[in-house]
Amino acid sequence: MAKVKNKRNSGLADKVHNKKKSEINKKKLNPFEVHINREKLKVLGKKSKHDRGLPGVSRAKAIQKRKETLGTEMKLMHKTNAFIDRRIGEKSAQLSAEERMVARFAAERVKQHNKKNIYNLADDEVLTHRGQTLEQIEKFDDPRSDDEEDEDGRKFGGLGDEFVADGHFGGGMLSKTDAKDGAKSHKDLIEQLIAESKKRKAEKQKEKEQTLDLTEKLDSEWKDLQPVVFKKMKTEESAIEKLLSQAEKKNMDYDKMMRELKFEKRGTPSDGLKSDEKQAKEERARLEQLEKERELRMMGEEEQIAVKSKQTKVKHRSAEDLDDNFELDDEHDFMLAYDKDGKPLVPEKVLKDFSVPNAKPKFDDGISDTSDEEDEGDDDSDDEENQDQSQSQNDDESDDASDKSEDSNKKTKSKDKNKVKLVSNKNDDSSNDDESSDDDSEDIKPEAKNQKPEVKSKAKEKPKENGHKPEEKKTKKTEEDTILFQNSKDDDSSDDDDDGSEEESEEDEDEDGEGNEVDLNNLNDLKESDGESDVEQEPEDVEKIGSFFDVDDGEGDKLKELLTGKTPAQQASALQNLIKSYDPSLSEKNKDKLTKLFAYMLQYINDLFSDLKEESDVIKAFLIFDRLAPYFYDLSQTNKVSSKKYIAELLKEKYGQYKKRQKRVPDMDTLIFFKLISLLYPTSDFRHPITTPSMIFMTEILTTCRFNDAYSISRGLFVTTLLLEYTILSKRLVPSAINFLRGILYLSANVTVLNPIQVVPPFRLHKDSKILNLEEDCSKMDVEGKMAARDFTLTEINNDFKIRCLSTSMGILKEFFDYFNDIEAQVYLFEPHLKLVGRIDLDLYPAKVANRANQIIKYMRAGLEVKTFTPLTREKKRPKALRLYEPDIQEVFTGSKSAKLSREQAESQRLKTKYKKEMKGALREIRRDKSYIGSVKIRQKIHSDNIRKEKVKQIYKDASIQQGELNKLKRIK
Amino acid sequence: MAAVQPNPNFAKMISAQLRNKATHNNLADILEMFEAETDNYTPLLLTVEVIFTKLLRRGELLEGIVPLKPADNSPEAQYKRWLRECFEAAQTRILECIRRGRMSSRLQALVTACKLMQAEGKHPLEGSSGFYFPSVRLKNIFNVLLDPEISMSAPIARFQEFTEYKDVQQYGLKVLSTIAYRKSPTSIYMQNYLELLDKLLICEIPTETKIKGKERDGEEKEEKLLCGTEDKAPFPYNPGVCRRYANRCWGFACQWPLCQDSRTHRRALLLLVERLMPLLNRPHLATDMLCDSLDAGGPISMLALQGVLELVRRHNIDYPDMYDRLYAMFEPEMFATRYKRRLMHLADIFLSSTHLPESLVAAFAKRLSRLALVASPEDAVGLLQLVANLLLRHPALKRMICYEDTPAIMSNDPYVMEETCARSSRALGSSLWEVWALRRHPAPALAAAAATVLQPATDRAAPLALTAPDLAANFDAELKKRFKTIEMNFVRPQGMTTPSGERVMQYWELMA
Repeated sequence: MAKVKNKRNSGLADKVHNKKKSEINKKKLNPFEVHINREKLKVLGKKSKHDRGLPGVSRAKAIQKRKETLGTEMKLMHKTNAFIDRRIGEKSAQLSAEERMVARFAAERVKQHNKKNIYNLADDEVLTHRGQTLEQIEKFDDPRSDDEEDEDGRKFGGLGDEFVADGHFGGGMLSKTDAKDGAKSHKDLIEQLIAESKKRKAEKQKEKEQTLDLTEKLDSEWKDLQPVVFKKMKTEESAIEKLLSQAEKKNMDYDKMMRELKFEKRGTPSDGLKSDEKQAKEERARLEQLEKERELRMMGEEEQIAVKSKQTKVKHRSAEDLDDNFELDDEHDFMLAYDKDGKPLVPEKVLKDFSVPNAKPKFDDGISDTSDEEDEGDDDSDDEENQDQSQSQNDDESDDASDKSEDSNKKTKSKDKNKVKLVSNKNDDSSNDDESSDDDSEDIKPEAKNQKPEVKSKAKEKPKENGHKPEEKKTKKTEEDTILFQNSKDDDSSDDDDDGSEEESEEDEDEDGEGNEVDLNNLNDLKESDGESDVEQEPEDVEKIGSFFDVDDGEGDKLKELLTGKTPAQQASALQNLIKSYDPSLSEKNKDKLTKLFAYMLQYINDLFSDLKEESDVIKAFLIFDRLAPYFYDLSQTNKVSSKKYIAELLKEKYGQYKKRQKRVPDMDTLIFFKLISLLYPTSDFRHPITTPSMIFMTEILTTCRFNDAYSISRGLFVTTLLLEYTILSKRLVPSAINFLRGILYLSANVTVLNPIQVVPPFRLHKDSKILNLEEDCSKMDVEGKMAARDFTLTEINNDFKIRCLSTSMGILKEFFDYFNDIEAQVYLFEPHLKLVGRIDLDLYPAKVANRANQIIKYMRAGLEVKTFTPLTREKKRPKALRLYEPDIQEVFTGSKSAKLSREQAESQRLKTKYKKEMKGALREIRRDKSYIGSVKIRQKIHSDNIRKEKVKQIYKDASIQQGELNKLKRIK
Repeated sequence: MAAVQPNPNFAKMISAQLRNKATHNNLADILEMFEAETDNYTPLLLTVEVIFTKLLRRGELLEGIVPLKPADNSPEAQYKRWLRECFEAAQTRILECIRRGRMSSRLQALVTACKLMQAEGKHPLEGSSGFYFPSVRLKNIFNVLLDPEISMSAPIARFQEFTEYKDVQQYGLKVLSTIAYRKSPTSIYMQNYLELLDKLLICEIPTETKIKGKERDGEEKEEKLLCGTEDKAPFPYNPGVCRRYANRCWGFACQWPLCQDSRTHRRALLLLVERLMPLLNRPHLATDMLCDSLDAGGPISMLALQGVLELVRRHNIDYPDMYDRLYAMFEPEMFATRYKRRLMHLADIFLSSTHLPESLVAAFAKRLSRLALVASPEDAVGLLQLVANLLLRHPALKRMICYEDTPAIMSNDPYVMEETCARSSRALGSSLWEVWALRRHPAPALAAAAATVLQPATDRAAPLALTAPDLAANFDAELKKRFKTIEMNFVRPQGMTTPSGERVMQYWELMA
């Protein structure tokens, strides 16, 4: 019975069992059966599978296998018997699996009770479940069952010791306890016992439940707590990052979502808030990057190429490469990918070549220079965009507010202008903002105020309803309406924003007379007020700003009106407000407007610096310029291309003017722009659209102009200083500037006709010489070393001027000298200067200046003396080596050729070899099968022959016996 | 003819004069008006010009002179005679006008005189069939132009437009040679003379070899004639005659003290060098003058150098210390002269010989590059090109830009700038450190030029032609250059100070 059952459910349990058995039975090798294959070639590291074999065993195995398969098959060949399935209920579909089992089980039971098995008592059946005995299955791993174990380790049914002692072993004569208690009936005892045990059980149960509850509670609480714990860091994220994460959530892919559904979310990871240090570090990195770029630009093209060629890696070179620098276009194709904004993630240069449909037009000034400004404006560099973004973020709120207020403004305006005061509180707010942002005190210059009304009367701008102006301007303007009641008219007349008036206003516009009236006292006031930086937004200004670009033309005049007659600080803040109110983020057209504003500001500076007659004018002009310069930078940043165009135009015009009178040094209205350029543009570049021409312009001034009076010399020195500043980073050699200094020294040297010294044009021998020569003893004079603004207006050369010229030029000379410490030509450049300085009578100069000059001379002499000359050599060309090729080293050597192949190829290759192998194997198997079959057949044949022979023999035997008997009978007869 | 009718009044007079003989007094009036006017004669001149050209064309001035016949006294003839008198008077007035009044009217007077001369040449006063050139008129004009007191450079420059005519050139040289003889003229006269001669020679007079070539080409059709007309015989242009006259003119000038005044000297040299040298019969006669001039120094010697070069190249003149003199001319002062381009060009030619000693060429290279250190960018570019050519032509100079032996550090430059003898200046041991320094010039063109000089030519590249860059070209070219990006400063300035390194405020106290 058991056998049958085993056969039927030969399951896992048995297999496991058998395996163990087989392992134990693993036979030891019979050394006579082993055949060792001799190795012909020994290959290191090769694992040989076939070094030894068991031919007899394996053959026997194979034959056995065949016997079981082929042999049986052969036996059954040509037999018509069929296999009949006699399992109970196998064929009837009505019976379910359960019923089938039940029916079979019943059949088994019946079988058990047949005659044979009646006496087989011990052979109990082993219950199995899926082939495994229940013993094996049962693991009893209920986690809670641990608790059930009795801690006390009590025996005897968990009765107390006392009770046991009394109940089981108590009584007897010796114990006094019984006597004390009196007689306790047995029944009582039993009852007590039962009660006690019940109580204990109940307690136990209760306790268990409690712990269970607590565990569950803890679990649930933990689950609640989990997200909180992990999210704690996330709560500190900035708003931007929240937005970003939201955006990311949106385009979550399927996998992520699926995983999220699958697993419980355990809080999201987050970037830490950037600390100040980190921000500073990033800023530093950015600056460093820019600086590096600048240095790269500083080098000439050739040098750049040289650097690049060093950097570029050697590409693959074919064996047939003839070293003719013929380049193959085998650059790798790039994968076109897009970031989340839809911009392609490709290098710029690639973008240029391939026209990617979605790509933003690349900023390329070379092409767009001639096209519209608006186009170019869009493509400005990144930082600007960043700026815009940040600004727009800031302005978002204010925009909303402005919409509302605008609506209200419209209403009030249209209905009744007197009611405008309703919004005055808003106005207060905004003005407060202004003040706080400007960090200003509440001081107004009286003169400025006085001049205002005149200007105002001239101004006939009408405030205009313009959809995209910020709130504050609006409200202020409306207040203006109440004040300037008459001026406010219908808004329709000034609706059109025409851009046609772009041409610069005329050069020769006269400065307003007011400037000249300001005497030195006022100037001091100006300076003081600078420190206080007092500006309160004047209402008139606001109005002007508001309507700055409304009227068709005359912005230049308006700007002038806006700015003239104010302290520099006031001008600066007025300008700031103007720029702010036309921020590009507020309207599309504002960018154009700001561009125009840039041109007008250039014009303003030009006017400011032309016709400077008084020292105070010069100082005032420079003070204003100092304040306005940053705004030039801001404006040029908003639209680089057009501002570059304006400046280039300006330079061209100035150059044309200068060309008309080449011998005359251009006035300050030209020179100041060189300063401005150095503020806006990098002066160190090898080639730059603005700085290079301006440098050429300056050098030309220094080479062609005549320097023979205070006017030209002061300006010449200014230009030289500018050139020094231009070249401070690049350390370029500007011969004209160095030569100019030589000229200045020549002019101040004591030269005689008899003892001439070589001069270089534009300075001429024996002409204008000694105009800077100090003839009187000024050693007691107290002179500061710097040149001053008054030198620009000087008409007569005085001793003071002479001294300052010398000291300044010596200072500049030293700096130029230091530029060329590494160059041999330093000697040629500066030796003439030293010779000339030797002719200057330094004793006449103030002690301070003389000392300084002597120091510089000593320094330069020392520098020149230790100068060494190394002959120019070229970088040693290395002899051209024979071309060698890198050995093709593979990181992982597999020894197989397929390692190099691609995956698909390798796969197909593998399959092919497998097929081949299998084919071979199959053929061999078939061959063996055939031989097996043959051997079986021949054996059968022999067997059957033998049987036949036997039978024949038998027949012969019988026949002979028969014959013998017959013969016997015959003989007997 | 006169396109501009200056005054309606004059226009009326002109038409009246031309139409009606009765109103001929107008002419007299006009001539009298010359007296009244002091400054601007232009309308008058134009009027006179128109009237007389018309009259000449009509032949009203033509006087048929028949030999052995008494003078005709008919009113016609008298009128004619009167007209001729008027013509002569007008001529004298016009010539006077060249000297007086404002410049425009002076020039107009010259033009009018020439125009009348042209008209007369086309329609001669005496009937003739051959080619006729009114040499007398030309002589008168020349007499005016060769004023001993007033510099006539402007009218002479204007006269250039007439010297382009072949007949004017030939007759002009002839006339000039007749009136040139004069002892100890003033310097102004000499200048005027030289200028006029210069202008007369502006059209190249072909030498014999050239003529032959030209005749075959048949290019004579192109020749412009001032007084030529179709119906008359062609003008017999003779280059040989021209040359003879030119020689004669120069012969007279040679006797004058040309070298006293530097301006005259310069002018004479310029004339000699530019125009006359190929024409002279015996150019070596000018050697003395050129040699003296070469010693004079400055621009004069630069001009003389060209003449000497011509003599050396074409006429086998041996000049001692030629190269030392050339060497001495390269001084910083040369940048102030207007002949610096010429000098550079000449130096290029002089130094193009490959048989020059290396030390000499090296000295030149060194000196040129030394000068480039103080020159303006344009000059420096020229000098560097010259140096580059030297390096190309003389491979031995390569050691000045790439020293092959192990470089020993020297304590000073072996080259001696002050040495007057180029060969002993020991330049070969030196290197072109100056060019190395110029690579850091702010003008990109110059920096590039310096870099190319230092770049060793691997194979013998052809020497560059010296270009003459315009002064303004550099600036404009840089402005026009297109850039991919416009770089800006990355630090926002706070006021007037440059973040990268302020120097103006360091040396200037501008805001106090």
